[in-house]
Amino acid sequence: MATLLFYILAAIVLMAVLLCLTRNNPVHAVLYLVHALFGLALLYFLLGAPMLAAWQVILYAGAIMVLFLFVIMLIDPDLFEKKASRGRFRWLPVGFLSGALLACGGVLIMMDPLAAGGIVRYRLSPRAFGRALFDEYGLAVEILSLILLFAAVGAFHLGRRHKGKEDAS
Amino acid sequence: MIVPLGHVLLFAGLLFVAGLAAVLLRRNLIMILIGVEIMLNAVGLVLVGASAYWRHPSGQLFALLLMAVAAAEISIALALVVYLKRSRGTIDVNRFDGMKG
Amino acid sequence: MMGELLFLIPMLPLCGALIIMFAGGRMSRKLLAAVASFSVIASALTILWLWPLAAPQTRVSLFDWFEAGALRVPVEILFSPLSAAMALMVTGVSALIHLYAASYLHNDPDVRRFFALFNLFVFAMLIIVLADNLLLLFLGWEGVGFCSYALIGYWYRNPGFAAAGRKAFLVTRAADVLFVIALLWLFRLTGSLSIATINQQATSLPAGTLTIVALLLLAGACGKSAQLPFSSWLPDAMAGPTPVSALIHAATMVTAGVYLLCRLFPLISLSPTALAVIGLVGTATAFYGASCALVQRDIKRLLAYSTISQVGYMFLAVGAGTVTGAMFHLITHAFFKALLFMVAGAVIHLAAGEQDLFRLGQLQKRAPLLFWLLLAGALALAGMPLTAGFFSKDAILVACFALNSPWWTGLGVVGLITAFLTALYALRLVYLLAADRDVTIGHGPLPRGMIWPLLPLGLLALVGGQLNLPEPWGGGTVLQRWLQTPSGRGGTHAIEWGLAIVTLLLFVAAWLGARYRFRTLPMPPGGGVAAFFTDGWKIDALVRNAVSKPYEATGRLLDGFPERWYTAVLPDWLGRLCQSAGRYFRTFTSGYVTHYLSGMAWGTFLLLAILLIGLLR
Repeated sequence: MATLLFYILAAIVLMAVLLCLTRNNPVHAVLYLVHALFGLALLYFLLGAPMLAAWQVILYAGAIMVLFLFVIMLIDPDLFEKKASRGRFRWLPVGFLSGALLACGGVLIMMDPLAAGGIVRYRLSPRAFGRALFDEYGLAVEILSLILLFAAVGAFHLGRRHKGKEDAS
Repeated sequence: MIVPLGHVLLFAGLLFVAGLAAVLLRRNLIMILIGVEIMLNAVGLVLVGASAYWRHPSGQLFALLLMAVAAAEISIALALVVYLKRSRGTIDVNRFDGMKG
Repeated sequence: MMGELLFLIPMLPLCGALIIMFAGGRMSRKLLAAVASFSVIASALTILWLWPLAAPQTRVSLFDWFEAGALRVPVEILFSPLSAAMALMVTGVSALIHLYAASYLHNDPDVRRFFALFNLFVFAMLIIVLADNLLLLFLGWEGVGFCSYALIGYWYRNPGFAAAGRKAFLVTRAADVLFVIALLWLFRLTGSLSIATINQQATSLPAGTLTIVALLLLAGACGKSAQLPFSSWLPDAMAGPTPVSALIHAATMVTAGVYLLCRLFPLISLSPTALAVIGLVGTATAFYGASCALVQRDIKRLLAYSTISQVGYMFLAVGAGTVTGAMFHLITHAFFKALLFMVAGAVIHLAAGEQDLFRLGQLQKRAPLLFWLLLAGALALAGMPLTAGFFSKDAILVACFALNSPWWTGLGVVGLITAFLTALYALRLVYLLAADRDVTIGHGPLPRGMIWPLLPLGLLALVGGQLNLPEPWGGGTVLQRWLQTPSGRGGTHAIEWGLAIVTLLLFVAAWLGARYRFRTLPMPPGGGVAAFFTDGWKIDALVRNAVSKPYEATGRLLDGFPERWYTAVLPDWLGRLCQSAGRYFRTFTSGYVTHYLSGMAWGTFLLLAILLIGLLR
C-alpha cells in the first residue's frame, strides 16, 4: 500500500512539475510548483523524514513561494489579470492535482506509516533530528546562518533604490 | 525502505532533468529560477532517499542545510530579478548579453 | 714576504685610475695630472726597488681568481728578468709620457677622463707583462684594447675619430678571437693555463697541433701589434691625442704581441714552420710599413706606418729565434718612437694643429732644442751607426743571416732593403720639418713640461745601444746576460762587420738620396702610385672588398629568404590564423547565460557518460 502510494505521489509530482514548467504565466507556474513541493513533502514523510516534510511545507511551499509571488507582483502587477488563461476547463488540472494530493495526505494520515511497527522501518523523529543536527553539524548551522545574513544584506542592497544613479549598469 | 533506492533515484533524475530543461530552454528569468528550485528539490529527494536507505540521519540533515542554502540563493536571485527589471526594464535572459566576448 | 709587494706594481696605476674616476670631480687639473703621474712613477720606483727579486724568477700568487674542475686560474705574477725589463720599460716610458700629457692637454676640458683611462691602460699593460697565467694575461690584453679604443675616440664628438676607435676595437677583436681559440686549445692540450706549465709541456705535444696553435697565437699577436692582415687600424688610431699615440700605439701596447710571442717562445720555437711564418709576416709588414711611410703627408700617419714597420722587425727577430734581439729592438724602439711622437705632438702644437708635412717647416729656427731631439729620434730610427736603432736592428739582421738558410737569408735581404727605406723616410721627415717655407704660427711657445720629458728619451735613443752592445764592438751584451733568453745562433765576426758596413753604406746612400730629393723645397707626391702607397697599399679597400662586401651581400641574401620569411611572412600568417580563430571562438561567448549553462550541462553529461562507461567495463 505504502509502495503504491509512493508511485502515485511520484506521478502527481512529476505531472505538477511538467505543468509548472510549461506555463507562460509565472503566477500559474508558481501555483503548480506549490503542488509539486507539497507532493515532495508527502514523499519525504513516506521516506521516514517527518521533520523535513514539515520544513518543506513551511519553508518552500510557504515562504519561498510567497516570495516568488511578491516579486512577480512587484515587477509585473498586470500579470494577474491580463494573462489569465481562457476556457471552460481551465481549473481542471489544478483541481485534479489538489484533490489527488489531499486524498494521498488523507490516506497517509489514516495509515500512519511512521508508527512503531509500521511499514516504514527507519524514521527520524524531530527530537533525534534536532539532536543529530546540533551535535554533529553545529558549525555548519553557524556558517549557514552567516550565509543567510549575507544573503539578507545583499538582497537589501540590491533592492535599494539608488538616488540619481538609476540605470547605472 | 518501501521502494528500491533505484526508483527514488530515477524519479529524482527525472525531476532534475525537467528542472534543467526549464533552466536551459525558458527565457523568462522567473521560470529559470523555478527550474533551479526544482533541481534543488530533486537533490533533496536523493538525500532523503539515501538517508532512508543507509538508515543514517546525515542525509536528512543535509537536505535541511540544502533548504537553507536554497532560501539564501533564491532571496538574492529574486533581488537581482527586481534590480534587473528596474535597471534594464526586462527579465528576458536573451536580452542580457553583457558578457559577450 | 717581499714577493707580495710585487702586486704594488700594477695596483698603483689602478689605484690612480680609481681615485681619478671616483674622486676626480673635485680635483684641480694640476692635482689630477699629479695623481696620475705619481702613481706611474711610484710603480716604476717599486720595480727598481724590487729589482733583485727578478733574477731568481719570483712567482707570487695573490688569490684564486676562479676554479672550475681542472681549470684553476690564480691571480699570479711572475717577476722574471724578461717581465721585469719589460715592466720597467713600460712604466718608465709611461711616466715620461704622463708628464708630457699633463702639459699637452693643458686646456682640454675632459682631462679627468683622459688620465683615468691612461692610468687604467698602464694597469692593464702591467697585467699583460707580469701575468703568469694566459687568462690573466688575456684580461690585461682586453683591458689595453678597451683603453686604446676609448682613447682613440677620446675626442668622440668628431664622428671620424669615434669611427677610428671602433675600427681599432673591431679589428683587434677579430684577431683576439683566434687568440682565445689558441688559449682554449692549449688548456685542452696541457690542462693548464700557466705559461710556465705550457712551455714545459710543449715538447710532448704533436708537431702539427703545435704549429697550428703557434699560428693562432701569431694571429692574436698580429692583431694587437698591427701586423699585416690586421694592420689597417693603426694609422687610423692616430685620431687620438698625441700622448696616446706615443704611449699606446708606439711604445707599449702594439709591442704586446711581440712580448706574448717572447713569453711563449719555448712553445713556438718547437715548430720551424711557425717560426718561418712569423719571420715572413714580420718582414712583409716591415717592408709594407716602410714603403707606406715613405709617401705619407700626415706626420702622425707617417710615424704610425713607421711603427708598423719597426714592430715587423721585432716579429722577424722572434722568427729568427732571437728573443733578446726582439726585446732589444722593442726597448730601443719604445725610446725613439715615443720620442718622435712627442716631438710630433710638440710640432703640431707649434703649428696650431697642422699635421701636413708639406705645411710644416722651419723647425730648427723656431725651436732648436726640439729640432735636435727630432734629429736624435730620426737618426736612431734610420739606424745611423752607433745609435740605439743601429745596434738593435743589426742584431736582428745578424741573427737572420747567421741561420745560413736561403729562406732566412732572403728575409734578411728584404730586411736590409727595408732598412734603406727606413733611413730614407726618417731623413725625409727631418728635411721636411726643417724646410724653409712659410708656416702657420701656432699657440705660442711650447710649455716647458713638453720639452724636458723628451730629454732622457733623446739621450736613450742615442746611447741605448749600450744596453746590448755586441761582442765585436767590445760590448758587454748586458741585456742578453740579464734576460738569459735565446738569442739565436751567434753571428761570426765576418757577418757582424759585413752587416755593419752594409748598413753604414745604406744609411749614407739614403742620406744622400734624401738630401738630393728633399733639401730644396719639395712638392707633395702626386699620382696614382703615390696614392696607392699613401693609402697603405689600399688595404682598407681590399678588406672592404674581401670581407665587408661579401658579408653584406650574404646579409642581403639572407634578408630575402629566411629573414623576411621568418620575421614577417610566417608571423603574419600565424597572427592572422590566431585572429580568425579568435574571431570564430568569440562567437561561443555569446553573452547569453543560457548558452553557458547548456555548455556546463553538456560537460556534466559527458563526464557522467565517461564515468558510466568506466563503471560498465
